[in-house]
Amino acid sequence: MTQPNETTFHLPDLGEGLVEATVLEWLVRPGERVERNGPLVEVETDKSAAEIPSPHTGVVARLHAEEGDAVAVGAPLVTFEVAAQEAAGIVGTVPGGEAPRRRVRLRLPEEDRDGQDEKDEADDRGERDR
Amino acid sequence: MTRYTLPAPVPLSHTAPDPAAAGVPVLLVHGFGSDYELNWERTGWTRALADLPVFGCDLRGHGASGKPHDSREYTPAAFVGDLAAVLDALAIERADVVGYSLGARLAWELALAHPHRVRRAVLAGFGPRDAFAGTDLENLEADDSPFGRVFRSAAALPGGDPAALAACARGQAAHPFRAEPAPEGTPMLLMAGERDELADGVEDLARGVGGAVLRAPGRDHRTAVAARSLKRAATEFLTAEADALSQS
Repeated sequence: MTQPNETTFHLPDLGEGLVEATVLEWLVRPGERVERNGPLVEVETDKSAAEIPSPHTGVVARLHAEEGDAVAVGAPLVTFEVAAQEAAGIVGTVPGGEAPRRRVRLRLPEEDRDGQDEKDEADDRGERDR
Repeated sequence: MTRYTLPAPVPLSHTAPDPAAAGVPVLLVHGFGSDYELNWERTGWTRALADLPVFGCDLRGHGASGKPHDSREYTPAAFVGDLAAVLDALAIERADVVGYSLGARLAWELALAHPHRVRRAVLAGFGPRDAFAGTDLENLEADDSPFGRVFRSAAALPGGDPAALAACARGQAAHPFRAEPAPEGTPMLLMAGERDELADGVEDLARGVGGAVLRAPGRDHRTAVAARSLKRAATEFLTAEADALSQS
């Protein structure tokens, strides 16, 4: 845990061929600490409602939409402050001075899954979009 | 989540509880036009209930399960038979059941037909009124009743089979829900969005079974399914000590 880095999460494609979603309810507030895969926000589309989990462990820095706002797929949703190492892992670079990591972390490591077994397409697509 | 297929005239795609999770297994039964993934995984229910051994299936006519086009294949008894078959396949004698919309009705029907197999039931997005009131079941593509809107939304989802869904709707409509007799010995929690018109009268239903009702503020039938307040209440209800439930 060194100096915090900011990273912004964009609204993922929810897999329904829709271009936007409306924020129903934020499940986090700025300044709040969130765990990776913890509840982040509930959204609705023309077809369904979904809960989007947090892609990061960190602190919520800014929310980019109010409840009731429509957000375009790919538009900024929330900015996190994350530990330098995680921010680096996400963009696939090796933090200076550390041994090279075995792989770029595009998937949730098994030891972090905490017994949860959902396959979360929204999350995966979010990773790809970044 | 690993998927299994129960071989049967109408094959059923289902999941299995995590063997590491402790407690009474929780069967999740999705709503009309939805499926296990859309109703329970993408809405965060399986995350909220991750400490419990949750499992469920795609109902016939839905998701990756068989999709007959004959409305006679969609009687409540046929659905209940499917749910019991999934319990049998997983060697689960008794489960808690959480249902949304049509799934809530089926939780009720399962408890009625097999009282010893359902410990507790959470009925969400469901009420005792006729869900098909004012619905033209022969012309669902243009019908403007509350159910007609649900139908079109469901039929438009990827993988939706409009002919199977229409048959399912007709099969349900041919066997309207009755609040009497009610299942005995199954504590129930009822919940719905505050603006869910398909859950009209849920308070009456709750009074009849001695259960509590929770309403999610501002939510309608489509959006209440993701409401955190409902997931929390369901979790508390399913994990409460038995004597805490008898007060309600």
